Amino acid sequence: MAFREKTAWLVLASMLVAYTLYFGMILADHPAGREVLPMLWLFGRITLVQLFVVIAGSILIAARTPKEARARADERDRAIARRGGAVGYYVLMVGMILVGVVMPFVDTGVTLVNAALLALVIAEAVRHGVILLSYRRGWHG
Amino acid sequence: MANPPFTNDIRTLRFLAGEMTQGALGDRVGVTRQTIAAIEQGKYSPSLEVAFRIARVFGKPLETVFQWDANRD
Repeated sequence: MAFREKTAWLVLASMLVAYTLYFGMILADHPAGREVLPMLWLFGRITLVQLFVVIAGSILIAARTPKEARARADERDRAIARRGGAVGYYVLMVGMILVGVVMPFVDTGVTLVNAALLALVIAEAVRHGVILLSYRRGWHG
Repeated sequence: MANPPFTNDIRTLRFLAGEMTQGALGDRVGVTRQTIAAIEQGKYSPSLEVAFRIARVFGKPLETVFQWDANRD
């Protein structure tokens, strides 16, 4: 498995765990779903933990395959990254349009921010999913 | 994903070049070992530049390394 594929798995897995926890807590009526400071506090902590996991995991993967980690992305890596970015962009656009549509019907900005965060997380998950699928199944750009 | 409409003889040419590894070929071409593996397996269509670079490593014309397969077209 390529170094970039391993790191994509790491980012996707850590992101799914972190934000399933975050949005699960919001659905379970955590104050982060209603108030600004609890939202910032919860989101900040979960994001920092995820960031730490990704950095530590990337260092570990790089230590096990130092030559691959040092190598620059080649044309296949770049083509796959572009494909993931393009698909993720459309998902993000649809998500943001939906956030705009529901905007007049919500009473607090916190709900809107959480909806936008959800759109971001889904778009990023799709981006990494497409990248992983392209590495696994092949890519004929 | 469907295979591209061409095949290649990179595996055979590596064997004939003294069992050249995918990594060694990748280093000479400027791509990763995984990209060479993906090209060999028909999972990735290389750019024209990389295709020419591979052919140059083996000292062969492009059509000796890559062959159009009308059945897959």
